[in-house]
Amino acid sequence: MLKTYKKEHGKTIIQYLVVDFNGQILESDDVLFSNVKAQNITDINPFFETLIPLLETDHEDYFFNCIHLNLNNKSITADITLKTFNKEKYPLLTITDLSSHYKHYQTTAQVRNESVINSQILELKNSYLREKEEFKNTFIANFSHELRDPITGIITFSDILTNTPLNDEQQNYLQILKSSSNFLKKMIDDILDISKIEVGKLKLVLKPFNIRELLNDINANYSIRAKEKGLEYVSTIDEKIPTQIGGDAIRLRQVLTNLLDNAIKFTEKGSINFNVSLNQIRAQKASIHFEVIDTGMGIAPENIDSIFKNFTQINNPLSFKGSGLGLAIVKYLVELTHSKISVETELGKGSTFSTNINFRLEPESKQKAKPLKKTITKPIKQDKKYNILLVEDSEITQLSVLKILARKGQFFLDIVSDASEVIPRIENSEFDLVLMDIKLKDQWGDEIAKKIRQLPEREHKRVPIIALTAKIFSADLKKYKKAGINDVVKKPFDEITLINTINKYLK
Amino acid sequence: MKISKKVVLIGHFGVGKSSLIRRFVENTFSDDYKVTIGVHIFKKKVAITEEDKDISLVIWDLEGNDDIRDTRTSYLLGTHAYIYVFDVSRPATYMTIKDDIDYLKQHCNKTLIKIVGNKEDLLTKEQIKQLNKEIEPLVDFYTSAKTGNEVDELFSKLAMELI
Ligand SMILES: Nc1nc2c(ncn2[C@@H]2O[C@H](COP(=O)(O)OP(=O)(O)OP(=O)(O)O)[C@@H](O)[C@H]2O)c(=O)[nH]1
Ligand SMILES: [Mg+2]
Repeated sequence: MLKTYKKEHGKTIIQYLVVDFNGQILESDDVLFSNVKAQNITDINPFFETLIPLLETDHEDYFFNCIHLNLNNKSITADITLKTFNKEKYPLLTITDLSSHYKHYQTTAQVRNESVINSQILELKNSYLREKEEFKNTFIANFSHELRDPITGIITFSDILTNTPLNDEQQNYLQILKSSSNFLKKMIDDILDISKIEVGKLKLVLKPFNIRELLNDINANYSIRAKEKGLEYVSTIDEKIPTQIGGDAIRLRQVLTNLLDNAIKFTEKGSINFNVSLNQIRAQKASIHFEVIDTGMGIAPENIDSIFKNFTQINNPLSFKGSGLGLAIVKYLVELTHSKISVETELGKGSTFSTNINFRLEPESKQKAKPLKKTITKPIKQDKKYNILLVEDSEITQLSVLKILARKGQFFLDIVSDASEVIPRIENSEFDLVLMDIKLKDQWGDEIAKKIRQLPEREHKRVPIIALTAKIFSADLKKYKKAGINDVVKKPFDEITLINTINKYLK
Repeated sequence: MKISKKVVLIGHFGVGKSSLIRRFVENTFSDDYKVTIGVHIFKKKVAITEEDKDISLVIWDLEGNDDIRDTRTSYLLGTHAYIYVFDVSRPATYMTIKDDIDYLKQHCNKTLIKIVGNKEDLLTKEQIKQLNKEIEPLVDFYTSAKTGNEVDELFSKLAMELI
C-alpha cells in the first residue's frame, strides 16, 4: 500500500545511475529518463562534462544544487549528487527532480531582484535629476551675479551723466538709457530670486517697519506710472492699519510692486485699484488684506495655474516684456508667510489679485525707539578729508566708486585689486575706512577682513570695513559679521546708498 | 581530440549574463527579465579559423547575487575561464568589482578572467570613457547583449586564449 501511495503521490523523483570511469552509463533505473544505457552521460547534457575528471576520485561526495537539465524534451530542475569509491567500485550518480520546489524559489527571487533593481534605477534617476537641477540653479545664480557689476556701472554712470551739462536731446537719450538699465536690473533680480527660491535659499527677514510709509511710497510711484499709460489709479488704505508692524518690508514691497507692475502691464484702458484693509488683530498678529484690481485683458480659466509658474507668459510672449517671473515670485513669497494668493478674473474684463498676510504687532515702546534710525545720516565734518581703501578687482566697480567719491571732493581713494596687497597696504598707511569686494579672483573678501581684524596695531585692526557684494543671503551676512565686517552695500548700488553707508562709519 | 572548456559567467543579478549567452548561442535578445536560479548550461562550438581548430565552450549561466562569495562552490569546480559581468548603467553592480576579482583569483588562480561591462547601449561613448577611467581593474570588453556589440568578439577572444 505505502509503496503504491509513494509512487502515486510522492513529490520527489530520484533517478539512480551507475557510470564507468569514462562516464559510460552502465545501469539506470530510468525513473526520469529512459533508454540511456550504453550512452555517455556527457551526451545527455553538457553539465555532466564537469563530472568526468571527478569520477576516479577516492570516496568523495559531490553535491550540485539547482541544475537545469533538458531530458527527453522535458526541462527539469534537479539536485545532482556524485558518489565515488575509487577504483574498487563504479561511481553512483543520483538526480533528484525538484522542479516544483525550485519554481517557487524562482518566483521569490524574481520579485526580490526586480524590486532591488527598480529602486537602484530610481535612485540613480533622482540623483541625476537633482544634480541637473542644482547645476542649473547655481549656474543661473552665478551668471546673474556676474551681470551685476556691468549693470552697476551703467546705472552709476547714467546717474553721474545726468548731472553734467546736456542738451534736451541728450537728456532724452539718457532717460531711455536709465529706464532700460533699470529694467534689465529688475529682470536680473527676478532671475536671481527665482534661483534662490528653487534651492530653498530665499528666507524672510522679519524686522519692525513703518507700513504706512511703504504704502505711501508705492502709491506715489504707481499713480505716476498709471498716469503715464493713461490709466486711472485709485488707492484706499484702511485707517485702522497699525503704523508700525513686524515683517519683511523688502519682500512685501516686492509682492505689491510685482502685482501692480503686472496690472499696469496687462491693462490698456480703465483703472488700477490698490486697496489695503485690516481684517483683524488677534494674539499679537495683524492680518492685513491686500488687493490689486485691474480692468485689463483677464486670464482664461485654464491658464490660471500656469501664470504662477516659472518662465511662463500666457499671452504672446513677444508682445509683453519682462522676465515672466513676477507672479511666480509673488506666489512663493506669499506662501513663505503661510498665506495664499488668490485671483478672480474674467476674460476681457479684468483681474483681481488678493492675499491676506499676517504681521507681528510691534509693542508701543519699541515703535518709538526703532523708527527712522536708518535714515539719520550723521553730518560729517565738511573740511576733513578721508582716506578710503577700495579692494576690488572689477574695473567697472572701481570706476563707479571713484566717480561717486570724487564728486564729493572729500575722499582720497586708494585702490587695490590684488588680495595679497591688502594687508601690507593697510599696515603702511592710515585708512579711515575699507570698501571690500567679497568675490575677488583668488580670495574671499571676508577672509581678508578676518586678517585685518587680527593685525597687531590697534588703528589698523579697528578700521571700519564695508562689504560691496551681491551675495547677501542671510548665511552670507552672518559670515560677514563674523569676519568683522561692519556693514554691507548691496551691488548694484547707487550713489546715495554708498555715501550714506560710508558716512555712518566716519568720525 | 575534442577540446571542451568550461566557461562560467558570474556577476550581480540582472547585469545580463543570460542575455549575453542567449545572444552568443541563439543570436536573440529579450527585454524581459527572467531571473536565473541555480545554473543553466549551454554548449557551443567555436571555430578558430587561424589554427583550423574547433573548440566547444560549455557555458555556465549562474544565478546572480549581491555578493559573488555566496556562489555555490560546486559550480566553480573545474572552471577554465570566468567572465565577470557588470552592468554599466548600475553602479551597484561594479562597486565591489576589485574585491570580487581578487576573490576569483584567489579561489582559482591561473584561471582566465575576462571583465565585461554590459548594456553599453545605455550609455554614451563619452560616459563609457569616463566610467572606464574610474573602474579598476581593467575592463576587457564593453558589450551589449541588446545590439550584439562585442559579444562574438568576447567569446572568440576567450576561445582563442583557451586553446
Ligand atoms: N539595454 C540593455 N539591456 C540588457 C542588456 N543585456 C541584458 N539586458 C536586460 O537586462 C535584464 C537582465 O538581463 P539578464 O540577462 O536576465 O541578467 P542576468 O545577469 O542573467 O540576471 P540574473 O540571472 O538574475 O543574474 C533584462 O531585462 C535584459 O533584457 C543590454 O546589453 N542592453
Ligand atoms: Mg540570468
